[in-house]
Order: sequence, then structure tokens, then C-alpha cells
Amino acid sequence: MAVSLQSIPKRIHKTFANLRTGVVLLILTGIAAALGTFILQRPATDADKLARAYSPATLQWLDRLGLTDVFHTWWFLTLLGLVSISIVLVSIDRFPNAWRFYARPYRKTDPHFRGALPNKVELPITDSEDALNAAERALKKSGWPVERIDGQHEPALYAERHRFSVMAVYIVHASLLLIFAGGMIDGVFGYNGFLALQKGQTSNVIELRTGGTRALPFALRCDSAGQEKYADGSPKRWWSKLAVVENGQEVERKEIVVNDPLIHKGLRFYQASFGNTGKLEGLQVAVTSPGGSARDMTLAMNAPVQLDPKTTVMLAEYIPDFFVGDNQIFKRSDDPVNPAFRLQVKNAASGDDAKLWIFPAYNSTAQGQQTDYKFDYRDMQMGYFTGLEVSHEPGQWLVWAGCLLMGCGLFVAFYLVHMRVWITAVPDARGRLVLWIGGQANKNRDRFEQKFNELVDNIRTELEGAAVIPPSIKKQKPELTLAGTK
Amino acid sequence: MATRARVVRMEQPATTGGNALLLLVGLTITFLLIVALFGAAKAGGSLFTESNLLYVALIFYAGAGALYMGFGVTGTMRYVKFASVATAIGWVANTLAVAHRWYLSGRPPFASIYEMLLSFVWTVALLTLVAEKKFDVKIIGSITMPLAVVCVILMQLLPSEVRPLVPALQSTWLHVHVTLAMLAYAACAVSFALAMMFLIQDGFATENFLACTTAIVSAIYLAIVFTRFDNGGLSVTAWDASTKSDMFLGRGMRLFVTVPDLGWLFVIAALGAMVPLALFVMGRWKKDESFLAVANKAVFIGTLLQVVVLAAFVLRARNASYPSPDQDGLFPTSLAASPFLLGGMVTGIFASLLYLMLLWRRSDLEGLLPSADTLDRVTYKAICIAFPLLTGMIATGAYWANRTWGSYWSWDPKETWAAITWLVYAGYLHMRITRGWRGRRAAYFAILGFGVVIFTFLGVTYLLPGLHAYA
Repeated sequence: MAVSLQSIPKRIHKTFANLRTGVVLLILTGIAAALGTFILQRPATDADKLARAYSPATLQWLDRLGLTDVFHTWWFLTLLGLVSISIVLVSIDRFPNAWRFYARPYRKTDPHFRGALPNKVELPITDSEDALNAAERALKKSGWPVERIDGQHEPALYAERHRFSVMAVYIVHASLLLIFAGGMIDGVFGYNGFLALQKGQTSNVIELRTGGTRALPFALRCDSAGQEKYADGSPKRWWSKLAVVENGQEVERKEIVVNDPLIHKGLRFYQASFGNTGKLEGLQVAVTSPGGSARDMTLAMNAPVQLDPKTTVMLAEYIPDFFVGDNQIFKRSDDPVNPAFRLQVKNAASGDDAKLWIFPAYNSTAQGQQTDYKFDYRDMQMGYFTGLEVSHEPGQWLVWAGCLLMGCGLFVAFYLVHMRVWITAVPDARGRLVLWIGGQANKNRDRFEQKFNELVDNIRTELEGAAVIPPSIKKQKPELTLAGTK
Repeated sequence: MATRARVVRMEQPATTGGNALLLLVGLTITFLLIVALFGAAKAGGSLFTESNLLYVALIFYAGAGALYMGFGVTGTMRYVKFASVATAIGWVANTLAVAHRWYLSGRPPFASIYEMLLSFVWTVALLTLVAEKKFDVKIIGSITMPLAVVCVILMQLLPSEVRPLVPALQSTWLHVHVTLAMLAYAACAVSFALAMMFLIQDGFATENFLACTTAIVSAIYLAIVFTRFDNGGLSVTAWDASTKSDMFLGRGMRLFVTVPDLGWLFVIAALGAMVPLALFVMGRWKKDESFLAVANKAVFIGTLLQVVVLAAFVLRARNASYPSPDQDGLFPTSLAASPFLLGGMVTGIFASLLYLMLLWRRSDLEGLLPSADTLDRVTYKAICIAFPLLTGMIATGAYWANRTWGSYWSWDPKETWAAITWLVYAGYLHMRITRGWRGRRAAYFAILGFGVVIFTFLGVTYLLPGLHAYA
């Protein structure tokens, strides 16, 4: 028992350090995520819609299994955690080998190694030292950094390019972990919410997306907000002029639009929506007195205004979208498309109390029998609110750093090729002295073959220049050996 | 003897039938262009409008598709030359259409599903030319050009007027994000085509292609029958020609009308697709090869049935009025009201034709395609291009979402499916690099990946609700 107990951590390690486990975990994550898109999700869809879509029993089970909010359940988060652990362990498991390869590349040119290389060429030469010097010059001209390899039987050259590309895969995996870490920080410390402000209103309490409210360390004031529309009526631009108020003092001002948020102390305020509150802010009318003189005035709900020392007028009722039925006025909707206003004109002396209706869509003038005043509709202002999305995501910088790093990592991993070239002067199978050139690439092998052949051509030209090619075969094409040199 | 017979068969169409097809395609293109020119001249106005240019592109793409397929069937090399010229002309017209729209709206055409398809077709045609000239994969046009034709026809039906951008879309990131998405999806499409070709070269049994093709066609028709069959008729959305949009009963509730008797035709087409599938299963079960010969004949009949159903659908659902089960009276419908029914039907016919081409000319096809080894490697390369693009698409999408919605990741269906696509291709790369998966298994993976891409691109938009409502 003791033995098996001891091996449990080892076994767990072995399980998670296995690529197959990693792939199984990824598949499970994919399936869970797909389920989350097919089943209606809790915070996004309201309870009514869920109740209509599923029977109560089904809904109960879905809720119990967390399937109505897949992306925030413990088991989904555990799955993501296990994936990260697997990435870390697999990477750690493979890292020492890769690092050894990276830190101490194989530079030697022993016969066994030479035999195993996929690309190789032999060029007959007369002097090994001169030939190696010529090859070194050719490599340098083509932009390869060259090293001399001493301490083995025959002198040799070693050159390589883009060695770091073998480590790129670790950069990609590290960047993925960085993104996960950012997401986790936001999951724990971050929050999202909504704040609706009317003109002139100041507030620091937001409604959280997860339910409940939260008080921010500073308040936000909306100085004004508005929208512009295209000719077809669809919204073109929403804007809000916001001010940050801290301890009663205004510290920052900004006009935000969609795609350009206000950022203050790590909190971001986004223009998310715009709408009217359904409340009337003011009604402008032109008042014509019995004497015939006219003046403009603004009326607010239930606030009497003096017309003359004895008479007052008051806006008593407002219906945004009216219709008439049974000689009565009813409300059809909250959109101010067909408004109706009721004015009350009181005469303190006579005790007359006149009720006047204004229907701007039909007849903008109101006259009553019990009053001598005449009212003409001029304009109306609706109360509106600006909807702000509030988010606090301290981990997002890790996410962006991860994305950038991943871009670099993928570029290096896919498009930079680790190429190596070995050159030595040895006798070939027939005993002639030849310059042996071998090369290898870790990917895109057919392209490398082209590059390798170009390099060999350059070396040959350089050898000809240095006159180290035996005169008898100068004109011949050097033979390409495809089989091993044994 | 067998090889000799093949040589004779190869040569005959190359001399006689070769010119006939060229002449036919050339005459058709000329005829259609002249008719269109007269039509445009009669109507007056500018010749270089977007829809005219797109029509020219459509004609040339269709001609190129016919020539490429002719090349696939007969192996006449001369077809390819003319086909690539036609593709190039179509592509120029397509480019002008894109430029015209861009100039008129003052922004790149990425904002609606119509504009996305416009850009997608442009990319596909360009990649076809690149694959042909640079990588010498000539046959690819016989898959991509019909695809382009289907897309352009779909576009004719989708609302195409230049709509102003809603506030959320007014961002530079839109262009970066959508460009990356289009490039990534096009690379995925190419990897899919290459993987299919690999399967042909790798000796994937023809009857397995039969099973796949008939399964896809059956799925399309069964889906249509299950969702749209109504007492023998077929429900289609009612279409309001004055507003160029679907008719609605209420919020989000479309008004459907029933085209009488058309439903039965779809049932017959579904059966026609399922018969060869059943025969295939029987043949496998009884280990009897003779079932397959019958199944192949059944595919041919099934394809004819599909063409008949498509013709009947086009004739009956084009600009006619039918009663609705939900409301009294007759309501008009139009082809434009059912883009995805049409898209499904054309895809079905197209898949069946590809199978028949393979069935009749497999040995010739094998001679035309690069070696299996090359195809395997090029598929991998295509995915090596697609994967970083997918990554960039997701990253820019997240950054843009963060600027617009206040959150870089909200598990919206489109986001989630983009992540799943990414995971599938990541799985492909891991299996290939560390486990040495080559050949068949890698090809299956590439095909699965493209299936997920299609679902993410079209399926999510039309089936799953979410924030990503524009496309």
C-alpha cells in the first residue's frame, strides 16, 4: 500500500504530462463550449425565455448540471485549469531535451553523423585548409555566421541560422498561459456592470452583470448625451459628455462615443446604449393673451406658471402616443411619436378651471371656452438616459501581452526555419580528398534543398576562385551523392 | 489491354470534344454578355454599376467552372489555359465591383453577409489563380469556381444595398478583424480541397466517397423536409418586395407561406439521396459488390431528381403569392426569401456532380493531380498559413470587442465557435508535429476543421443567437 501511495503523485504527474491527456482535455473543453452555445445561457437570456424554451423538469436538470451557465460553472473552470496544468507539465517534460538541443547544438562531423544527414554534397579539392577558407568566405558572403570546429580528427566548419525557432513552441505555450492567467485574474478581481445616467445625474452605483450592485470609488456625472441618426432612422452615433467626480471634485472630463471609452483608475466606461426615460422634461408653447400679445414659455409637469396676476397655467398630463376611443384618450405606447398634452388654466378670481388638449400631430393650437388664452405648440424635450457599460479588467494587459507574444511565437514557429550546415575536408570512398558539405532543416525541407543547392553553388564558385579544384575535373559537374557515404 | 483502352479514351475527347466545349462556353459567355449589354443599354444609366460588374464576374466564373470541370473529366490541358483566362477576367470584374462598392460607401466591404461573400469570392478566385500558377494544382478550379458561382448567386438574393454602419461597427478593427477572418477561412477552404484531393490520390475507396456524398445530400434534404414540410407543401418565408426584406408577424417571428405540393418533391429528393446510401450500407453488410453498381446508378438518378426539384422550386417560388397558415390572404414570396434553401440545394447538386466526376474519371484524375505526398505536405502548409491568421482574427476580434462591448471575451456563440475552430486546428498541428500524423488521419482532421469553419461562418449566424449579429 505504502508503495502505491507514494507513486500516486508521480502517476498524476505522468497522466497530465501526457500529450494524449492534453488532447482529451481539449476535446472535452470543446464539447462543453459547444454545449454552451446550443443551450440558452442564463445571464444573457432572461428567465421568461428560458421557461418558454424548456420544460420545468428539463430546466431544473440543466440548472443543476450548470448547463444554463456553462462558462461560469466550477466544472468548466476546472477543465480550463486542467488544460493549463497539462500544457505546463507537457512543456516541462519536453523542455530539457529541447533546451539541450538549443544550448549545445551538435557541431561535429563524425562519419556516422555524416551518413545520416539528408542533404549532402562532395566537391573534390586539392588542399583542405584552402578549401575550408574558401567555403568560410562563401558562407559569410551568403550571410551565414560560421564557426570553426577544432578538437576532432579533421578540421570542420559549422554554420546555422534561426536556432531560436526550436524554442518558439514554448513561447506559444507560455503566451497561452499568459492569456489564461489574465482571464483568471479578471474572473476573480474583475467585474462588469451597467450604469444608466440621465442628464445632470451623478452616480457611483452600478448594476453588476452577475446580479446585485456595486459602489465605485468615484462617481460619474453625465453633463449631456445624445444621438445622431442616419436618414433611414438607424443610429449613427451615440455620445455622452461625462465627468469623473471624486470627493465632490471634478477630476476628469471626456466625451465618449461607441468604440472610445472613458478610462479612469482601471475602470472603463463604454457608450453602450441611449434611450429616453419616457418622462417629459419640458414643453415649449407660445401663449397668446386675450390682448393679442404673444410670448414663448416653457412648461414642466405639474408646475404652475403665472400668466397674469390672476391666472396660472400648468402642464397636467402628458401621453407620449395617444389614441381616442369612446371619447376618451388612451396611451398606446411609450414612444413619443404621437403625443398629447393637457394644460390646466386656473383663474383665481372667477374660479374657472379650463382643461385644454394639445395634439401636435393634428392641431398645434389649443383654445378653450373657459379661458381667453390661446396656446401654440412649439417644441418638446424628452428626458433621456445614456447607458454605460462599466468594466474593470485588471488582467486584460496580460491577455494582450499574451496575444502579441503568441503572434511572434507563431510567426517564428511556422516561418523561421532552423537551418544547419556542416563542412569538412575528408577523403571520399575512392580515397580522393573532397570538401564534404551537409545540411539539415527542421521544417520546409523542399525549400531548404533549394537554399542548400544555392549555397553549394556559391562555395563551388569560391573554390574555383581560390584554385583548389583539381584541374582534371574542373569542367565536370560535381557529383551529388544521395546515398550514404559508406 | 486495359491501359490501351484508356489511352484511346483519353485521346478522343481531346481532339473532337475539346473544341466543342470551348466553343460552347465561349459562345455562351458572348451571348450572355451581349444580352446583358442590350439590357443595360435599354435601361440606360451607367454600365459600370456594381451589379453589372458582378454579373460579368458571374458569367466568367461559371464559364471557368465549366472548363475546369471539363478538364477534370477529359483531361484536356487546353481547357485549363482558357479556364484560367476566364477566371482572371472574372476576378478583374469582381475586383472592380469591390472597388465600386468601396468607393461608394467609403469603407471596405465587410459589414454584412453580402459584403463578406463579395470579399470571400474575390479571395477564393485569387487563391485559385495562385494555386494554379504557383503550385501547379490545376484541378482546384473545378471545386473553387463552382463554389464562387454558388456564392455569387447567393449574393444576388441577399439584400445588397449599402447600409450605413451602426455605431459598434465604426472601427478600424472591423477591417483588420474581417480581413484576417476572410483570409483564414479561404486558407481553410483551400486546405479542405487539398485534403479531398489527397484522399483521391491516396486510394480512398470510391464507395466511401459515395457514402459521404449521399450522407451530405440526404442531410440537406432531410433538414429541409423536417423544418419546412407542411401538409405536402413547402413553407418559405414571405417576401416584401418594397422593403426588400422578409415579412414579419411580430418581433422575430417570420411570416411563412406554403407552396402547395412542393413538399412532396423534396421528400422524393430526400429518398433519392437515401437510396444509394442504404444500398451502400447493404453492400457493406452483405459484403456484396453488386449493390455498389446499383448505388452508383441511383446517385445519377438522385442527381437528376435534385435538378428537377431545384427547377421546380425556382419556377414556383419565384415572385408568386401563396396562402399562409398563420394569416388569411395571399402573400408574395421570392427566391430572395430563401437563400439558404437554395444554397443547400445547389451544394447538394454540386457535391453529387463532383462524385460522379470522380466515379467516371478517377484514373484520369489521379494522373492529373500531384502525388499524394505533395498534397499531404501542401495541406499542412495551407493550415500553417490558416492557423496564425485564425489566431490573429480571434485576437483582433477580442481587442475590438473590448473597445466596444467592454469585455474581450463574453462566450458569445460566434466567439466560442471561433475558439473551437482554433482548437481543432491546434489539435491537427500537435498530432502532426509531435505524433507524426500523416496522410489519412491528417486529411480527416483537415476536413473536420473546414466543417467547423463553415459552421462558425454561416451556421452560428443563422442558428445560434448572439451579439455577433451582423455576420
